[in-house]
This record gives sequence, structure tokens and C-alpha cells, in this order.
Amino acid sequence: MNPLTAALRERRPQHSLRIVDAHAHAGPYSLFFIPDAGPAAMVRVMDRCGVSHAVLSSHLAIQLDAAAGNAATAAVVDHAPGRFTGYLTVNPWQDPVGEIGKWGDDPRFGGVKLHPDLHVYPLTGPRYAPVWEFAQRTGCPVLTHTYDGSPYNDLPMVEEMAVRYPGAVILAGHAGATPLGFDAAIEVAQRRPGVVLEVCGSYNTGADLARMVREVGPRQVVFGSDFPFIDLRMSLGRVLFSDLSDDARAAVLGGTMTDLLQWRDNARRARSSQVTAP
Amino acid sequence: MSSRGHVLLDADAMLGRHPARDVGAGTVAEALAGMDRFGISEALVGHTLSWLHDPRTGNQALLELVAGQPRLHPCWVMLPDTCGETGTPAEFVTAALEGGVRAVRAYPVDHGYDLAGVDAAPVLDAVAEAGLPLLLDAAQTTWPQVEAVAAARPHLAIVVGGLGYRVLRQAAGVLARTENVHLGLANLSSHCGLEWLVERFGEQRLLFGTGAPTRDPAEAVTRLLWSELGDGAVAAIGAGNLRSLLREKVRVA
Repeated sequence: MNPLTAALRERRPQHSLRIVDAHAHAGPYSLFFIPDAGPAAMVRVMDRCGVSHAVLSSHLAIQLDAAAGNAATAAVVDHAPGRFTGYLTVNPWQDPVGEIGKWGDDPRFGGVKLHPDLHVYPLTGPRYAPVWEFAQRTGCPVLTHTYDGSPYNDLPMVEEMAVRYPGAVILAGHAGATPLGFDAAIEVAQRRPGVVLEVCGSYNTGADLARMVREVGPRQVVFGSDFPFIDLRMSLGRVLFSDLSDDARAAVLGGTMTDLLQWRDNARRARSSQVTAP
Repeated sequence: MSSRGHVLLDADAMLGRHPARDVGAGTVAEALAGMDRFGISEALVGHTLSWLHDPRTGNQALLELVAGQPRLHPCWVMLPDTCGETGTPAEFVTAALEGGVRAVRAYPVDHGYDLAGVDAAPVLDAVAEAGLPLLLDAAQTTWPQVEAVAAARPHLAIVVGGLGYRVLRQAAGVLARTENVHLGLANLSSHCGLEWLVERFGEQRLLFGTGAPTRDPAEAVTRLLWSELGDGAVAAIGAGNLRSLLREKVRVA
């Protein structure tokens, strides 16, 4: 029993690790009923389990309206600034350049979210070019939905973007989403160090997660839950009980994502060292 | 068992191999080891042979596998009696009760029949008369079918598992209009859905189940123990409700 499962069995929040949820949303979603999709309930669930932070994009942003939805994401971050960071959603049909220009420097946003399946546009398409140029230039991580066999966001398309933009950090959301997708995602991450596997979904297991960590290392696998699209505890439980070393579990649950969110600080430090260098 | 004494009885587990998932050999030893890993005391188990090959031989094989295993309780798979594959309805339930079977599971989609149709009615009537709970996976039926079967047999306890996160609108309607439909926790994954269901319909309508081995038991265990429910509700959902269904419903053979 590790400290996290010990806390679970005692029905108390865990406090042994900083847990960061790399894949969250907020708000209602038309396809199905979510009982309590707002930020207050999200914080309550995070507190119940001992999750420190979540990086989210509003459902409004991914489902319908990137501009209104990014504003909604910013409002959720404002609700609990220490607990949430936003993903800036870029819809290829809704002014990518304008959205990046409006929110790219806003500290409430720490990443970019792409959902090619929902927006019916391929990850490799030119309308996404401003995102990749931004990510390559800044180090801002890009979370993209992935799904094995999709015409819009299959794993070979992730690899193509990793090749074209080797400086970009690409979080492969759902890590391919299916058992076949997990195999493909592992192969891509092994070849492309900029690709990080994010593990939420409906078909993942702790055994799949442990295999990902064995095959690509704990610095290329991050915990995400998709909550409130899916309850946070489904994915979190898989990580809690998976066969990982303590160090690997700490990296997956929050260490790696915490580091990836430091891209602005890293850039500042880099600029500072250039200025002070002899 | 947790340090706070929560016993977990898994109402949704399976022995046997799976042709399209890497779930191991599905042996009794593997099932027991998995239960120990997740703190699960006992489980109601079916067998993939009954689901994915032949119910008649699978049901018999299951009894042999769980004989002498006090932590594993057999769950048979039913079929309509139209082709006589599992005997007449009376023969089926008599054999089930004599074999110590505690519940019956149906796969209407995979086995090609209408759960609410006339073909399945005689065996469902017999299952209800015997007091055996009927277990279903949400993907194997429709909510109107569940409601029709439940309404026609008010004393038949029905447990629907594998809901996912997209069906609360339908499930809530059926729960509101019936008293004998329950939900299992295997992949019950709507955000805050467990708490919402308990508040709206009562903790007695929910039963712990994992969906193992195709689903990771970590999901249901974590969902329940880190829920916002009180210890009493967790105890009921974790074990008490299933015990009640099995104890109160099954007629002595």
C-alpha cells in the first residue's frame, strides 16, 4: 500500500504528493447531463481527493465558441487562481491568430488545447500553424485530443507535428484512447521526446499506464482526468493503484506537469541569462 | 477492507479469458489476487465462456471453478428458452438454485434477442419468481427495455452496470419510475454522478461493482471511497445493498 492508497482506504484526502490534473474542462456539455459542472464542485472534488491543481479548457470553448469559451476558461481560473490554469482553446475555424493574440500572454493560460475531432479539422492542417509556431517559440505545451484511427487526430499526425516542430511540447490527450491507440502512442513517444502521453479516458487501465511508464519513462506520461466530462476519480484511481515506483508515480501525478507549466519562467530565465552573459 | 471498516463486495466481476483485451488468463487465482490488491472481500462472478462462447457450458464450468471458493459467488447467464439451450425456464432456475447461483446476467445484444420481448419473458418470469437478481450491462440493452422488464416484474431486482458518463438523462427517468432498478458502480463515471444519484434516489439504488477484469477495479474503489458520501452510504453501497438483494431475494431451493 502506498501513501495515496492508504489515504484512500481511510477516506481522507492525500497530502503526500502534489497532484496536477493535466486534462480538465468546466461547465455543461450538451450531449449529456453533468450534475455539477462548475468550478466550485470541481474544487470540492479536488479537495476531497487531495488534487492540488487542474489545467482546464471550458466545454464552451471546445464545443461551440472559442472566443466566449476562452473567456469562460479565464473566469474559472479567476474563481480559484491557485487551483486552476487555463488551456487556451484554438478552434481552426474561429480566428486562431486572434485568440492566441488575445490570450497568449495572459498568465491565466498555461497551455493550448486543440480538439481536431470536435472541430473536424486535421491536426496537421495549416489553420493550426499559428499554434505550432507559438508553441515552438515559447515552450507553451499543446494538449491535443487523440484517438486511434481518427482522420483528424490519430497518433501518426501527432508524430508528424512533433517532427515539424521539434521544440514543441505536445500532450497526446487520452494517449490514443484505445488499447491499439496506447500501443501507437507509446511508439510515437519513444521516437519523439517532445510527445507526452496524457492518460485520461474510458478504456485505460493501471496496467496500460504502467506499461507506458516502462516503455517511455515517467517524464513522458502525465495524469489527466477529463473532469467534469468524466469523474476525476476514475483516472486518478488507476494511477493510485498502478504498479509504479514512488518516484514515477510522483512524476506522472504532478511533477512533470508542474515543470511543463513553467515555460514562461523558463523563457524569462533564458532571456535574463542572455542579458547577463559576458 | 479499509481501515475504516468498509467491506467491498463486487457485484460485477468475471472469470475467463477475453479475446480482445489483455486481461490475463482469468483464473480463480488471478481473480482472488486482484480482489486482495483492491481490498475486495467477495465477488459475484460470471464467466466469459458463458458470455462469449456458450452459456450452457460456461454456466456449468463456472460452478466447478467456484466450488470451494467462499469468496466467489456464481452468476449464470440466461437465454430465452426458444431453442432450449439452457432447458426450460423452470429447469434453468432450478439448476441455478441447486448450484448455488446467486444472480443471473443477460446479454441481449451479444446473444441476439429482445430483453423486453415475448421470447425472453418466460425465463425472466422464472428468474423473478426464484428471487434471483438480474444483472445487465448498459451496452447490452436499452433503458426502455430495462423499464419494461422492471415494470412487468416489480419483484425482480435489476442491476444495470457499465453506464459510462453519457446516460444519466435516461437512467434517472427509469430510476424515478421504478423501484426495482439499481445501478452498479462499474464505470459509473459521470462527474459527481454517484452523489447526485444517491441524493435523488437513495443509496439503496447503488451497488459496488468493478467490471473486472476488463475494467480496472481501481476506478470503482476510488470512486466510492473518495466519494462525498457518508460512511453509512459507502457501507451500504460497498456491501450492504448487495447482501440485502442476495439474502432477501433468493428463495431457498
